[in-house]
Amino acid sequence: MTDPIIVVKDLVKRYGSFTAVDHVSFEVERGSIFGFLGPNGAGKSSTIHALCTISGYASGVLTIDGIDVGRDKDGARSRIGVVFQDCTLDPKMTVDENLHMHGCFYGMPKALIRERSRFVLELVDMTDWRKAMAGSLSGGMKRRVEIARSLMHMPQVLFLDEPTTGLDPRTRAEMWAYIDKLRRERGITVFLTTHYMDEAEICNRIAIIDKGKIVALDSPSSLKKRYAADKATIASRDPEALEKLLERHGMSYASAGADGDYLIQVEDQASLMELISEHRTSIGRMEVSRGTLNDVYLEITGKDIRG
Amino acid sequence: MRVIGALWLRNVRLFARNRVQLLLLFIMPFFYLYLLSAIFKSTSVSQPIPYVLAGIVMIVVFQTSLNIATSTIEDIVSGYMKEVLVSPVRRISIVVGQILSSTTVAAFQAFLILAVGYALGLTYTSMVTPIAIAGFVVLAGLVFSSFGLWLAASVRNSQTFQIVSVAVTTPITFLCGVYVPLSLLPEGLQTAALLNPMTYAAAFFRALSLEKLSLPADELVAEQLAFRFHGVLITPVTGLIILAVFGLICAMLSAIAFTRADFSAMNRSAIQKDVFQQ
Repeated sequence: MTDPIIVVKDLVKRYGSFTAVDHVSFEVERGSIFGFLGPNGAGKSSTIHALCTISGYASGVLTIDGIDVGRDKDGARSRIGVVFQDCTLDPKMTVDENLHMHGCFYGMPKALIRERSRFVLELVDMTDWRKAMAGSLSGGMKRRVEIARSLMHMPQVLFLDEPTTGLDPRTRAEMWAYIDKLRRERGITVFLTTHYMDEAEICNRIAIIDKGKIVALDSPSSLKKRYAADKATIASRDPEALEKLLERHGMSYASAGADGDYLIQVEDQASLMELISEHRTSIGRMEVSRGTLNDVYLEITGKDIRG
Repeated sequence: MRVIGALWLRNVRLFARNRVQLLLLFIMPFFYLYLLSAIFKSTSVSQPIPYVLAGIVMIVVFQTSLNIATSTIEDIVSGYMKEVLVSPVRRISIVVGQILSSTTVAAFQAFLILAVGYALGLTYTSMVTPIAIAGFVVLAGLVFSSFGLWLAASVRNSQTFQIVSVAVTTPITFLCGVYVPLSLLPEGLQTAALLNPMTYAAAFFRALSLEKLSLPADELVAEQLAFRFHGVLITPVTGLIILAVFGLICAMLSAIAFTRADFSAMNRSAIQKDVFQQ
């Protein structure tokens, strides 16, 4: 990698005898969006918490922007912004007061705090709410304020731990628009975890962690190419002929459902086209679907992510 | 420094915004004053009302200081503490900011009660006494705030804290001679009261505000401003030192708790998650 901003080497984290993170290593390129996926309890939050300096780890080396997280915690802290899974706004303070406190914590001068508050609130469309108590806001608004707050000190890396959990689809879409805008306009590196596979599509690279180990690490398109073949569903009026054809083309298939649908793994488009043209008179209905990250995920971890 | 100031302002603001709490904290002491002066009239104490008032001021300082524990626990449970801890703020600044704000609020409450006491006829012969009183109220606030913060940082869970809080405050407030004169307690509990830093805070503050610090030892013991334990005399000044050392230890323990503690898991264990949010 040409310019990694985050380097994780052999990270190990234990809770008693349970190893939550087991020799995990990866790098994140500056200015990219990095997705960190995995089932609940796979070690995602443990890794993020170690990177965010709020919990320790047994061994390994973590660096953020060249700074050793274990040695210079404050140096690392001033370079990162974090939006945790659970809301961490001060509920009894107004939005403005929340931002002001944040600015103080990061040693920003007063004038800059005022200027930045205005800027970040505008970015997430929350300017009209700046005098509202944080606790009185809706879930989506709280998230937006949290994102705004995490940007106050212009971090190099933004950690987003399931930023869209519990939000409605429209707010989710908006959230991703903000995040992408940030990356493009500010060059911020985004490190995110999510349970929604469609959202992981915006990542430049994805790491999938399972049982404390990284089991896949690549771009969404390469992962799909490798783990999630396109699928074709064909309902045939002449199943025997179709099966013969499938075998001749060496395509793996399964018959699904009572209506005689055949679910076919598409390794290469050309042989599918050939098969369709040979069988066209007997095809009742057909559908071709692209492989998704969800398929990748299921293939790799062997279980549904929401399970 | 700025962070300490910001945290101080935040906590004082939070306190000022809680009107109901403000009102109750102000009314309760006078209820106790009325109740307790009746009880203490039956003991060997010479000036029951100032004697009781001084004790109540200490209890108020103690209870208000312990509020910092509750609000710190709230910050931990609401998740806000994570935001603080992930920032490059020095841990010691958080500890100092929390302790100072809680001391401010406690001292404010104490002065309010003393002002009303003054209106009710509380007088001092020396000009130094009110200044010394103010100084001691602040010291007691610092000591008990440190204690509260250490308690909060060690428990870190709201449900457990409720139980711990009751288990800790009840013996401390009842075994210090403010609500119940120590001489009326069974001997075992009298010994236990001598392990209670609150006993010394109340005794010193009484001796100070009744201007009896220079009284001979036997009279001090008779008025329960000094204590004799197996022949060893614990004067109000010794009590003051015990209190200060106790506070220092608590402050150190909370500083250690804040630097070492792993606060990453606290938020989730405290709040039951929505089933749809698994």
